[in-house]
Amino acid sequence: MNNGADKRLNRRAEEDEDDEDDGDGLEAWERTYADERSWESLQEDELGFLRPIDNKAIYHAQYRRRLRSLSSSAAATRIQKGLIRYLYIVIDLSRAAAETDFRPNRMVVVAKHVEAFIREFFDQNPLSQIGLVTIKDGVAHCLTDLGGTPEAHIKALMGKLECSGDSSLQNALDLVHGYLNQIPSYGHREVLILYSALSTCDPGDIMETVQKCKKSKIRCSVIGLAAEMFICKHLCQETGGMYSVALDEAHFKELILEHAPPPPAIAEFAIANLIKMGFPQRAAEGSISICSCHKEAKVGAGYTCPRCKARVCELPTECRICGLTLVSSPHLARSYHHLFPIPPFDEVPLSRPNDPNQKAKRNCFGCQSLLSPGNKPGLSVACPKCQQHFCLDCDIYIHESLHNCPGCESLRNSKSVIANET
Amino acid sequence: MVQFANVIVYSYQYLLDPKVAGIISKELPKESVVVFDEAHNIDNVCIEALSVSVRRQTLEGATRNLNRISQEIDRFKATDAGRLRAEYNRLIEGLALRGNLPTTDIWLANPALPDDILKEAVPGNIRRAEHFLHVLRRLVQYLRGRLETENVEKESPVGFLVSINNHAGIDQKTLKFCYDRLHSLMLTLEITDTDEFLHIQTICDFATLIGTYARGFSIIIEPFDERMPHIPDPVLQLCCHDASLAIKPVFDRFQSVVITSGTLSPIDLYPRLLNFHPVVSRSFTMSLTRDCICPMVLTRGSDQLPVSTKFDMRSDPGVVRNYGKLLLELVSVVPDGIVCFFVSYSYMDGIINAWNDHGILKDIMQHKLVFIETQDVVETTLALDNYRRACDCGRGAVFFSVARGKVAEGIDFDRHYGRLVIMFGVPFQYTLSKILLARLEYLRDNFQIKEGDFLTFDALRQAAQCVGRVIRSKADYGMMIFADKRYIFPNSFSITLTSKILNSLIKG
Repeated sequence: MNNGADKRLNRRAEEDEDDEDDGDGLEAWERTYADERSWESLQEDELGFLRPIDNKAIYHAQYRRRLRSLSSSAAATRIQKGLIRYLYIVIDLSRAAAETDFRPNRMVVVAKHVEAFIREFFDQNPLSQIGLVTIKDGVAHCLTDLGGTPEAHIKALMGKLECSGDSSLQNALDLVHGYLNQIPSYGHREVLILYSALSTCDPGDIMETVQKCKKSKIRCSVIGLAAEMFICKHLCQETGGMYSVALDEAHFKELILEHAPPPPAIAEFAIANLIKMGFPQRAAEGSISICSCHKEAKVGAGYTCPRCKARVCELPTECRICGLTLVSSPHLARSYHHLFPIPPFDEVPLSRPNDPNQKAKRNCFGCQSLLSPGNKPGLSVACPKCQQHFCLDCDIYIHESLHNCPGCESLRNSKSVIANET
Repeated sequence: MVQFANVIVYSYQYLLDPKVAGIISKELPKESVVVFDEAHNIDNVCIEALSVSVRRQTLEGATRNLNRISQEIDRFKATDAGRLRAEYNRLIEGLALRGNLPTTDIWLANPALPDDILKEAVPGNIRRAEHFLHVLRRLVQYLRGRLETENVEKESPVGFLVSINNHAGIDQKTLKFCYDRLHSLMLTLEITDTDEFLHIQTICDFATLIGTYARGFSIIIEPFDERMPHIPDPVLQLCCHDASLAIKPVFDRFQSVVITSGTLSPIDLYPRLLNFHPVVSRSFTMSLTRDCICPMVLTRGSDQLPVSTKFDMRSDPGVVRNYGKLLLELVSVVPDGIVCFFVSYSYMDGIINAWNDHGILKDIMQHKLVFIETQDVVETTLALDNYRRACDCGRGAVFFSVARGKVAEGIDFDRHYGRLVIMFGVPFQYTLSKILLARLEYLRDNFQIKEGDFLTFDALRQAAQCVGRVIRSKADYGMMIFADKRYIFPNSFSITLTSKILNSLIKG
């Protein structure tokens, strides 16, 4: 897209996409023409050249708005979050999932984003487990049981993608309720329903089912793909979940990824508990043992359960023989940062060129790129604790992936070094 | 209790209908502020308050009542003749009602309103109770004769009076005082079960109205209902055409009167109909924080043929199929509840049967359940209740209703109960009804309002009211569709749609 814009710039305001097939890659051209209306994102600048609209600033503003709203309630207080989550994803495979308003159809888009969500979910919540349920022909089937490995779920999901029949919300809720009732009380029970249909054909009174779920402390959230339905709204309000309706594919992706970070725990239900966990050691390279998950002999690379000495292939998992939760310390560390989130960075106002006090030529502390205003206004942000300046990309990276401010980390190190020296 | 309250909320009839107002609203002080809310139908309410219809059952009931009254009089003569004589004396002195009453209370009770008649003395030929009963019997007999006519007859009050005088020998002044005289007689005889005497009261209302007003009324006698010519059902209707008569005492008596509504359009028609000069006449546009209504006009079906409920196009199978396809497509994309309004019960019956024959109804039922309003109140209430249950539990439902029925007047379809409302056609009144024709003639002669304009105004007022059932608060949202090709003509129609709907139509 940017290459195309540069080429257009060189040719002095040629809007004709037909001239672009040389060398740019037919696929890129086809892609932009099919998915985005690339001619709409052009804007004239002061010299008369056509430039693409500066989406970056808009994107960043949206991102910051979202971040602020999410952390506004958590700014002062530390909210207890459910870190050990047992989440069932319910996917609607009724005839409404074959609608083509999401390209190629709703079912495929949902599957694609669920795959991305599963990976992100296990990234952020290594101690949690996911199960998949589908609704087809008015009946709910359990596609995979609760488990901690992403590959198994994704393989099962992509295996059978066909839709038919009516959709029944009550059957899905009943099934999920039956499974979730069996898990221990320290786990947070959640359901995420991805609903494509506009109605639900239920065998009984769905209000009773909603009350049953509420009593079992199951937090139900719904993401709708068609339109807002009263019953979904009522379900989410009663159980404390989130209801949102996706406008298009990008919005759907945003909405589903919002469920990846752990939600706040419900006060009366979150009692502090001691949970038994095992930290297995890695087996020696040459040892031969029978793996408990594959039921065959394997050489080397595996972990030994500290309680029953069975061999498991990967972590985190539940030992099949004795039922102990097996994790490693990085997994716990990854869950830790949810409890101590980084505060949103403050925006730094644009420096005026005539202002003599401003340090010209400032570099971003994260990536060392230049921060001074050039052709486009360079927004920068600063960490409220260490006062270091960062560019927009580093801001997003720090808050979404890194979860640690480099400025604060180096400040702490230097302070401790000074403390050691004195 | 009325005199102790600071705020009173009640229906229009308690203030406009003379028979009821006299009992309930006697004690309201002059400085009160009267607000008529949802007053877009106020002219219809005023007209109905002063209209009387007399059927055979009414006359038979009146005869029974008269017999009962004469029995009571005989009983009183035997036991307490003094009371009747006291009443007689009072009437001679010119006090029509018993007791010493302050002037504020008298005006509301009498259906005929100019107050100079209240100061006249009751005429001699009905002062004695027995004479009064004779007069009433002659009147009832005359009316019975008039009802046995073969043709439709239309007369003005003056003509009717002349013919009463010729045939029954009752003059205008006598008729004027019938209501008062009957009321006083019933008080004297201490009759407590006034429900029994509704028929004779109707006759006396009729008589007093005839005797008082020379213009603004007409009398229409129909031997049968036009739509069912084989069933004899004679009815004599005293139709009021002038809406200003009923509301005049309210304007005269109270210091401030406010008429307000969400769909009062065009606003300058109302002062003409109600015959008053407004001190302040304002229109307020509603401010919406976001686009929460989406009104649309649909003039053609999906096969590009124009659709309408014009009388000659009603049975056209293309139109029926287009309407059906429209509903089917919408049912598959709109969540929760949908309301559809039709122009009349017979049209609704016909089109639903046609949809059933084509299989469209079965396809609709695959997406949502279907509920229909009928003329029976219990059945309609049950249908509404089940409709709400279906919307609540996520099954989704469609409600078929009629534009001038009870549901359109009173029931709200807010939030998820009404996400879409479709108005199939333009809800004109039954244009061949004699009463309507008489009223249109009166409006044309006296107010220079053209018949077409008034009918259009009335139809659009009804359509706007039906469609407004869907949005009841700022947080609500819904879609409105007007499905008829006649909605698109700019001059006559769009002007009278309410401005809020019109603004959205222009924008979207």
